[in-house]
Amino acid sequence: MKPIPQAPYRVAADIGGTFTDVAVFDASRSQLILGKTLTTPKRLVDGILTGLGKTDISLNDAHLFLHGSTVAINTMLERSGAKTALLTTQGFRDIYEIGRINRPDSFNLRHQKHEPLVPRNLRFEVGERLLATGEVLKAMKLTDLDAMIEALKAQKIESLAILFLHAYRNPSHERQARDYIQKKLPALFISISSDISKEYREFERTSTVAANAYIGPRVNKYLGEIENELKQVSFNGKFLVVQSTGGLYSLTEAREDCVRMMESGPAAGVIGTEALCKSLGIDNAIAFDMGGTTAKAGVIRNQEALVANSVIIGGYLRGLPLLTPMIDIHEVGTGGGSIAHLSSSGALRVGPQSAGAFPGPACYGLGGTEPTVTDANVVLGRLDPNHFLGGEMVLDKQAAIQAMKLKIADPLGLTVAQAALGILRIAAASMSHAVKGVTTDRGLDPGAFPNLFAYGGAGPLHAVMVAKELNLSKVIIPRAPGHFSAFGMLLADFRKDMVLSKFTPLSGTSMVVLNAWFQDIEELSLKSLNSINLATRKIHCKRFLDMRYVGQEHAVTVEIPAKVFKGQSLAALKAVFDAVHLERYGRGSPQEPCEIVSLRSALVGELKKPALESIAMGSRTPPKAANLGVRSVMFEGSKAHTTPIFQREALKANNTIKGPALIVEHASTTVVYPGDTVKVDAQGNLHIQISL
Amino acid sequence: MKTPNPKTTTRSKSIRSTNTAAARTPKPFKRSLRHSQADPISVELIRNSLVAATEEMKSVLMRTSYNMIIYEALDFTVGLFDRHGQTLSIGLGLPMFIRGMSDVVKAKLAFWGEEGIEPGDILLTNDAYTTGAHLNHLTFSIPVFNEGAIVAFATCMAHWQDIGGVLNGVTTDIYAEGLQIPFVKYHQAGVLNDEIKEFILMNVRRRDRAVGDLEAQLSACWVGVKHLQSMLKRFGVGQWQQCIQQIMHNTEFEARAAVKTMPDGVYEAESFMDDDAVDLDQPVPIRVKVTVKGDEMTVDLSQMSPQVRGFFNSGAGVACAQVAFKCLTLSQDLPVNDGNFKPLKVILPKGTVVSAVHPAPMRVWMTYPMTVIDTIFKAMAQAIPERVIAGHHADLVIANVNGIHPIDGKLWLYTGGLIGGGWGAKHDQDGVNVTVCMNDGDTHNGPSEQVENKYPLVVEYYRIRQDSGGAGEFRGGLGAEAEVRALTGVNCQTRIDRVNNTPWGLKGGQNALGNEVGVRSREGDLKLYKTGKVNVRLQAGEAYVIHSGGGGGFGDPKKRKRAAILKDIELGYVSLQKAQADYHLLLSDEETNVLNPNAQKAKV
Repeated sequence: MKPIPQAPYRVAADIGGTFTDVAVFDASRSQLILGKTLTTPKRLVDGILTGLGKTDISLNDAHLFLHGSTVAINTMLERSGAKTALLTTQGFRDIYEIGRINRPDSFNLRHQKHEPLVPRNLRFEVGERLLATGEVLKAMKLTDLDAMIEALKAQKIESLAILFLHAYRNPSHERQARDYIQKKLPALFISISSDISKEYREFERTSTVAANAYIGPRVNKYLGEIENELKQVSFNGKFLVVQSTGGLYSLTEAREDCVRMMESGPAAGVIGTEALCKSLGIDNAIAFDMGGTTAKAGVIRNQEALVANSVIIGGYLRGLPLLTPMIDIHEVGTGGGSIAHLSSSGALRVGPQSAGAFPGPACYGLGGTEPTVTDANVVLGRLDPNHFLGGEMVLDKQAAIQAMKLKIADPLGLTVAQAALGILRIAAASMSHAVKGVTTDRGLDPGAFPNLFAYGGAGPLHAVMVAKELNLSKVIIPRAPGHFSAFGMLLADFRKDMVLSKFTPLSGTSMVVLNAWFQDIEELSLKSLNSINLATRKIHCKRFLDMRYVGQEHAVTVEIPAKVFKGQSLAALKAVFDAVHLERYGRGSPQEPCEIVSLRSALVGELKKPALESIAMGSRTPPKAANLGVRSVMFEGSKAHTTPIFQREALKANNTIKGPALIVEHASTTVVYPGDTVKVDAQGNLHIQISL
Repeated sequence: MKTPNPKTTTRSKSIRSTNTAAARTPKPFKRSLRHSQADPISVELIRNSLVAATEEMKSVLMRTSYNMIIYEALDFTVGLFDRHGQTLSIGLGLPMFIRGMSDVVKAKLAFWGEEGIEPGDILLTNDAYTTGAHLNHLTFSIPVFNEGAIVAFATCMAHWQDIGGVLNGVTTDIYAEGLQIPFVKYHQAGVLNDEIKEFILMNVRRRDRAVGDLEAQLSACWVGVKHLQSMLKRFGVGQWQQCIQQIMHNTEFEARAAVKTMPDGVYEAESFMDDDAVDLDQPVPIRVKVTVKGDEMTVDLSQMSPQVRGFFNSGAGVACAQVAFKCLTLSQDLPVNDGNFKPLKVILPKGTVVSAVHPAPMRVWMTYPMTVIDTIFKAMAQAIPERVIAGHHADLVIANVNGIHPIDGKLWLYTGGLIGGGWGAKHDQDGVNVTVCMNDGDTHNGPSEQVENKYPLVVEYYRIRQDSGGAGEFRGGLGAEAEVRALTGVNCQTRIDRVNNTPWGLKGGQNALGNEVGVRSREGDLKLYKTGKVNVRLQAGEAYVIHSGGGGGFGDPKKRKRAAILKDIELGYVSLQKAQADYHLLLSDEETNVLNPNAQKAKV
């Protein structure tokens, strides 16, 4: 074991659109410290420092600074990236605009397609051509690039993406073009597709490399700014960035391969759930994250978060695809701000419109008149108007009641409570679809994941209703659910994902050849890990193959256990594929030949983890100090329940509470239904046993 | 086994007076709107559940089916139907399937009668004159019972890759197109009818694949049954039935309100298909008459061409009217249910090209209906120009390519394309470039990198087709062009229409370029055919070329904003020459200098 670094702190900062969350682990005292502050859009580092200020930590006492940010995704969604050009193979500059030509909004005559980040007049072609085997069909003349180079200069282009057909098999043309152009334009940010993804599918790869080039300059500026700030406050440790897989990568790689940090925030929550599952000995769980505008669900299976190979940024209808791995997350447009309204025929609907932060729900008293999910919680007594965000904001219950009455209850002939309860039931049903999506789409049964971890500001308020909707028996509310992404980042490991498309029939290869291919990839991954000299506890490589039966179009990603490589039997490999196919698609065909499409590798360098902090032990009965009195709360039916309220921070391990109950903390309230039971564990997580 | 009952093709639905009275009061939020005493929260929960149920049926079918026509091209429909066969929710699939399955469920009910269907039955047919489409569409239905009475059906139609019949060429009757399956019970009271299964599998080319798709369809149906049963358990059959009535009533109300905003009148339009692939140079007329009166619309298709000799017939007339109606009323409302279509009447005598009768060939049923829908929009342009769209390329634009693979010596089949094409302009918006036609929805093209890995082909280019959109105040969307070179000898067949009858403009907007097929010789000469029905053998080094049409323009080109014209030239969507011809564009010397290099570059 390497010596423990001097500086005792590991710091994680998650910068979101509204809040910056900071989580610090103090190894010397084995203590978790959390801070939350408003994000400072002008200079984001200010937010981190303010957040740290709230934790009384100085950065020069930290050995690791782990950072997740929305800068990449916001640059893409707001279209505020660099002026970018694209260079591609002759005949294919329109691929980026043509896309996959699908029209999902099938009856809408006003449907629109995705909008490329690079306009057509900045998409250049050069005469070169590779075959699918990687052989050169037409060589490239570098001087053919001179006219484009002049145009880039004249138009003050800041960034260039290069994609050539079949470059995943042979990157030489892309590299030659990059080197030639970079020499003439040293300040130009250049990304080549073979550096970002060696996976076939030219539209998706073009979209990926173009996005990388588009966000690259701004992400670089941002990371540079934070790096400088950190230097100024005498931070001497390592600065690592959180990827969409929840894994960490180096600052150097983050500056080149920017697209990998696109969804770090949502991913970190699932990674936090994965870490809790390991510490609690839970194999299978759902990670459920609910905020103001959306609810998201991820899956932990056998103590590992499931990862998807690609993602669409900006929604399915018009979004841009990225061939970059990310935690598999399904999202629905239901959150605390979702507006309840009546359609023109008088039918009750909840969302997808959201009241946002301004004017926000009616109860915010900022002029909002539409009743929202948050208003329904206030009306039913589930949220305390006087203790919202720890009392930093006082809610106007009367405004919530008024909005509910005028807009929903009166027109439908319901009582205000019936309307509010109905809205919460509809919201819970629609959020349960996010959970179903992330499981059933993979052929998994949501019932096989009986533990629902709920976090995000609104997660604990709704988790029990969602669990009941799905027939799940247990809800777990982690400590500080409102800071959970930062907590998850704190527990992240180094990770390097690589992909290589190699169309190979299984009959035309051997385990020795496959093993050699993987070793080549893993060597590169290891180099990337070694370049930052991290103190790791353990390094392991996961190997996956994208496989399909001959004749099929879709390939399925199959994790190949190490023992299959040890055994060197192709038949064993085939059996693994048949079994996964059977699980996912309802049938496997052992007698049919199959082929390999791509190799995927994930190298994980496990960092030494802080042991999770324990809270003080108590008896079954919660301490008096935790008791905040009672309130009248509506659950199911028309009768209100006199419901005890507990202060989360004052609860002790082993405390057991029978529902109905409300457990309040700074940024969140946990709702426990009558008949359900909560138990506080040694780390302070709430385990709610649901009576189904 | 009996033959199916002849289908009623003229429909004129009377609306129950209670509904009509309510619907004519367009005041929102009135309690009087309520069709029943259904609890509004249960109504919304059930509406969500219906959508979720058909989504999961769809997901199961896509995951478990074996052929890419199902999971890539989404050539299927799953749905839930009430005890009368009315659509409660359908998971598409392709937009053209909005209708077919409800007709099939109703036909099954009529054939067996409610008393002739037992719990555990699985009802099957592929009768082309019931489904309205080709024989590849096998439709399975499972009835759901409550206390001995049918309350609903879960149903799944999916396109089988092969159903027998001749492989190549033009078919001229249904017998050449494969196995016809009458109304049969695949399961009877829970017991599999092995003889029927064997009978079917003996008549298809890839028995193994077919079994996979068959099982996938049954899995999808069972998922629907599971959802229906859980809804019935949660809400009780009485409450559930009230709620589904209310959901359909709400949809109907909103659809009627939408029709009410259209001016009363009779609107007619006509267009032509190129030919039926048998009688070349013989255009096929498409004629529609739409009558709007109050909150109801009637689409009269009685002047359509009689059924044709080639394989372009279908029974999709009602579906055409419903797709157009859906687009013009509640285009994004879910679930798709029969309430939406209560304000729509369709007049459709038997024997037209979209109400074909036995033994008309139906194999390429999907091509003509797209133009029928466009023609309805053309008619409605007189009434509601701000809600319609100019003509689009209206064809799948694919080449069927096959040959012997040099590596393994085996036959390979490639559906070349789909390349997409241009969509029509609207009153305030240019048309969309290169997108799948009306028949297809969430259907994807295939990556060229994939094609070249699988087949001995090289894609020379796949790009936007300059100047293909119709000029107008708003320009039609641009089509695409692709050239694919054969590395060994291959056969190439196309069934493309709308080559000569090009996508039209509206309100002074100009027509777009039509679809086109061509061959490039080894020397580089391009030969374009006058027809889209081409059957050629390509030698190594020769290439086939397909061009898809653009969309028609909307409004007088003279009104197009100068900035938009210049932008089109700058982006290379429109050549300088074409812009000068269509828009009478005059450029300053400086502008010419700025635009010319780009205009040149785009031509490569």
